[in-house]
Amino acid sequence: MNTTTQMSDSALVSLYIAGNEGAFEQLVNRHKNKVYTTILLIVKDSYTAEDLMQDAFIKAIHTMKGGRYNEEGKFSSWICRIAHNLAIDHFRKEKRSPVITLEDGSNVFNNMSFSEDSAESLQIKEDTHARLRELIQTLPQSQREVLMMRHYAEMSFQEIADATGVSINTALGRMRYALINLRKKMLNSNIAYDTNLYSE
Amino acid sequence: MIQTSTQNELIQYVYDELADDACAQLESALMQDSELAEGCSDLLLLQQLLDGAAKAPSERSVQNILNYSKSLSLQS
Repeated sequence: MNTTTQMSDSALVSLYIAGNEGAFEQLVNRHKNKVYTTILLIVKDSYTAEDLMQDAFIKAIHTMKGGRYNEEGKFSSWICRIAHNLAIDHFRKEKRSPVITLEDGSNVFNNMSFSEDSAESLQIKEDTHARLRELIQTLPQSQREVLMMRHYAEMSFQEIADATGVSINTALGRMRYALINLRKKMLNSNIAYDTNLYSE
Repeated sequence: MIQTSTQNELIQYVYDELADDACAQLESALMQDSELAEGCSDLLLLQQLLDGAAKAPSERSVQNILNYSKSLSLQS
């Protein structure tokens, strides 16, 4: 059994800085989905998101190997903030917000995979999650931003308040409205609100 | 009607950011207030759904990152 699997992120970072590549692999596998989703929800293009995710981790590699990593914060918040900033930079450069479709005509967000379950329940989960990602895109920008920063980038509400220049109560209020609106949109879109769908 | 301050605390609670003393108070309120408990339950369900909506990158991208890191180690 790999002894790094139960370690904290902080311990893995220390091991990696000391030269343990296995520790880094563990960190990447632990956080790749949230980093990737954070970027994807901003740039809305899977190819660009893949590139930016690599850029984010490469930036992290240089910071850690260069001895500039600040151990005070959480690794997950830090790497997701790098990803978020890269995605926002890219988005500003592009100055557009296209809905990208794949060669087969499907929306880029309709492309998830699950390892277990029946084909039918897999399809229901896939559809539900794809619809949810689409609904997140329809939230007002300030609400979407807080939701992504808190849920996917794992930033604390205080960190979000600092990053966006608002009070913590405003950040909390935006998150509250984001979740309320998301729930309303789900109900309006007839997305099943069923716990059985949510378990992995 | 749930007060805004309580609703904000509920958000902090489900995201594990509420201070211990406030947490105890809220948990006590949850035992007595069914509307609040329902709101909490809804938030937890949404959280689970949002977790499930996270998407995985390709294995190729992950491998590129790991290979890049290893290549730097070999150089040093």
